[in-house]
Amino acid sequence: MTPQYVVFMFVNGLSQGMLLFIIASGLSLVFGVLRVINFAHGSLYMIGAFVAFSLSTFFSGGSFLNFLLLLLLVPPVVAILGFFLETTLFRRVYHQEHLLQLLLTYALVLILDDLVRVVWGGDPRNVARPDVLAGSVDLFGLALPTYNVFILLVGPAIAIGLWVLLYRTRAGNVIRAAVTYPDTLGALGVNVSWVMTSTFMLGCWLAGLGGVLMAALANIDLGIGMEKIIESFAVVVIGGLGSIGGALLGSLIIGLGITFLQLPLGRWALVFPYLMMALVLIVRPWGFFGKPER
Amino acid sequence: MNLMPEDILRIENISKSFDGNPIFKDVSFSVTRGELSAIIGPNGAGKTTMFNLITGYHVPDSGRIIFKGKDVSGSEPFDIVKLGMARAFQITNIFPRMSVLENVLSTVITKDRGNLNIVTNFRKLRSARDRAYEILDSVGLADLAQRQSGTLAHGNQKRLDMAVALALEPELLLLDEPMAGMSPEERWQTVELVKSLWERLKITMLFIEHDMDMVFGISQKVRVLCYKTLLAEGTPNEISSNRQVIEAYLGEEV
Amino acid sequence: MVIALFFLPFVLAQFGRTGEYWIWVTTEMIIMGLFAMSLNLILGFGGMVSFGHAAFFGVGAYTVALLMKKAGAPLYLALLAAPIVAAVAAAVVGWFCVRLIGLYFAILTLAFSQLLYMIVYQWYTFTGGDDGIHGIPRPEFLGPINYYLLCLILFLLCFMLMRMIVNSSFGLTIRTIRENMERAKFIGINVRRYQWLNFIIAGAFAGLAGGLLTELNRFAQTEFLHWSKSAEPILASLVGGMYSFVGPAIGSAFLMFLKIVVQQSHKGLVELWAIILGLVLLLVVLFAPGGLVGMYQQLFKRGDS
Repeated sequence: MTPQYVVFMFVNGLSQGMLLFIIASGLSLVFGVLRVINFAHGSLYMIGAFVAFSLSTFFSGGSFLNFLLLLLLVPPVVAILGFFLETTLFRRVYHQEHLLQLLLTYALVLILDDLVRVVWGGDPRNVARPDVLAGSVDLFGLALPTYNVFILLVGPAIAIGLWVLLYRTRAGNVIRAAVTYPDTLGALGVNVSWVMTSTFMLGCWLAGLGGVLMAALANIDLGIGMEKIIESFAVVVIGGLGSIGGALLGSLIIGLGITFLQLPLGRWALVFPYLMMALVLIVRPWGFFGKPER
Repeated sequence: MNLMPEDILRIENISKSFDGNPIFKDVSFSVTRGELSAIIGPNGAGKTTMFNLITGYHVPDSGRIIFKGKDVSGSEPFDIVKLGMARAFQITNIFPRMSVLENVLSTVITKDRGNLNIVTNFRKLRSARDRAYEILDSVGLADLAQRQSGTLAHGNQKRLDMAVALALEPELLLLDEPMAGMSPEERWQTVELVKSLWERLKITMLFIEHDMDMVFGISQKVRVLCYKTLLAEGTPNEISSNRQVIEAYLGEEV
Repeated sequence: MVIALFFLPFVLAQFGRTGEYWIWVTTEMIIMGLFAMSLNLILGFGGMVSFGHAAFFGVGAYTVALLMKKAGAPLYLALLAAPIVAAVAAAVVGWFCVRLIGLYFAILTLAFSQLLYMIVYQWYTFTGGDDGIHGIPRPEFLGPINYYLLCLILFLLCFMLMRMIVNSSFGLTIRTIRENMERAKFIGINVRRYQWLNFIIAGAFAGLAGGLLTELNRFAQTEFLHWSKSAEPILASLVGGMYSFVGPAIGSAFLMFLKIVVQQSHKGLVELWAIILGLVLLLVVLFAPGGLVGMYQQLFKRGDS
């Protein structure tokens, strides 16, 4: 257990956390504005990953350009899928009991997860990392996987991008207003349904991005959707639904927690998100940055 | 601190704000056992919030709420109810898909059982049913017993709301705007109903109202909540001639 | 209707092999109907969505499997133990979950069930992990027909028990909580405690169902605890009608029947079963939240109250 090893684990954990953040922030945002917890968010992430895989088979060679293309093309595809889902399905249940909304997204998980299985089969896949990002960099006298470091840069970039979007643009102001004053938004002359649709698309975009990044990080298989949605739930529970900062905090906690707990606990480290979630739900159900009395 | 044994409820220096917006600060008053009194005030003065604090739905930022000599500030609603307080709601808060009878029956059953009895005791159920009918009768809803409560007319729903509160056999009954949304005819009936219930059951009643007929017609004492504090307290006559109160209302009047 | 169910297996036995297949199918329908009704105690009557009910089903299943295979216990003992162990599991899980409402409750139930799933999956030495537990003994006198009758009798027993509970003052209180949780608090109901008890009862029945299924198929596997297994009773309750008492059982039977029909007609379509299930759920949620029973009531009882 050298200090260098600790650093190695730390970087790993952070990059896991960052990846999780990208996905969970989408979930949190969608909830904040649409007040719907989209179970299918994990499935959308998985679709992003597999679509990235398929696209990558068209490219040969490990150029960074190809990878960049994936990063640019795949998330919008998922976002467009989200557009259809929102306009045809989600819209109809906004005014229904929450029970039914939950079941709707649950139905989507069943459909989408199995669709992935039908289209892509059950074998694990992955996307080859671009040459530039394969291999390792020398930092602190350690060989750290370059790709992980890459994610460590992308993560905060997204976080900053989201922050800028939410706090420095007019669109962002509208979104934040929708989160804080859901009922009065319409009265302010805002096209509420458009806000909802575009926020949902943004959430899907984030999920798709997470999918692409994951596809090159490790093998992807049919279980990653469920795995990530539960981890994302843990994140938004810890951080508070609707809060991006909370999602960041939660993601880092989960990411680091899982990584470091693998030392003593091995496979059982995967239990950590559940325990953390249970703990937070009991002690402080609205998370660190959420609002109580919900 | 003088402890008057006839005070069934004492509010001591209560303050509450939401998200940094203060609703009221440092409000104190007491309710004497057996009195029929009112809290009035312009919209947004915090009357319903006061009820929410008293019944345990919210926690006061500071101050204490003493009910029957016990400090209940921050207690859970169901514990406070068990002590003997009941509340009827402004926006009717009944159990829509259940029948009128079941609404009250539920309450009676809950009151009867001190602890948890899971499976049916048929004799108890029958006596509970009788009691429920009695209560429905006292508010004039007995012939609507089998209707689905969600389908009742607004006025009747309010009565049901009251019946549910009464089924708890409370010592202190809080009524939140019992006249809200009623037609002129229904208003009359409601005033009469509240008065007769009070005379018959001899429980302490505290209500929030905007309708001055009710406030000045039947209450013994009136408290005015305004400008984030308790503006005045006194008999209806005293209040109606209180200059500050008049100003507050005239200034606010729509 | 009930009498017909009693005679059914004898009729089916006449048809030789296909008959035996159908006996097996109907036995499974009865068991899954029980599972669905157990969930509906929480879902339809309690008004709470639990995505992790399969956990208790699985716990019951593995209890029977382990007791009979590893400890050599007799069937009746195992079937007695299954609901008890499941109830204990439900008590633990439920204690945490009922501290929350609605959405958070649903998420936590899912989390716990996945947790249990993972524990069973990883604990190879005890539970056989991915392989499951096979070759569970079956007493000689319990051939297909007799086992069917056993399940039917137990089902009817549970049915009556559940009926009694729902119509009792406990049931009334649970429904009261479902109708208006806030108001329930204001009439003195300790909401948490009642929801917890309801959860335990539902878990116990689910455990029994799990145990019965294990004995029917003579194996237990990790899939019994998977979240997709939790979907089945939810769908069944929804399709059949969650506000009615017998709805979930009807829904369950209907779905199983549908699955078989699909299986027989288009071999390829079975592959898409999860998708079909999801689509059915989607349609029900969007267009017929009252389920089959709800539709029936709308069609035939119009002009009533």
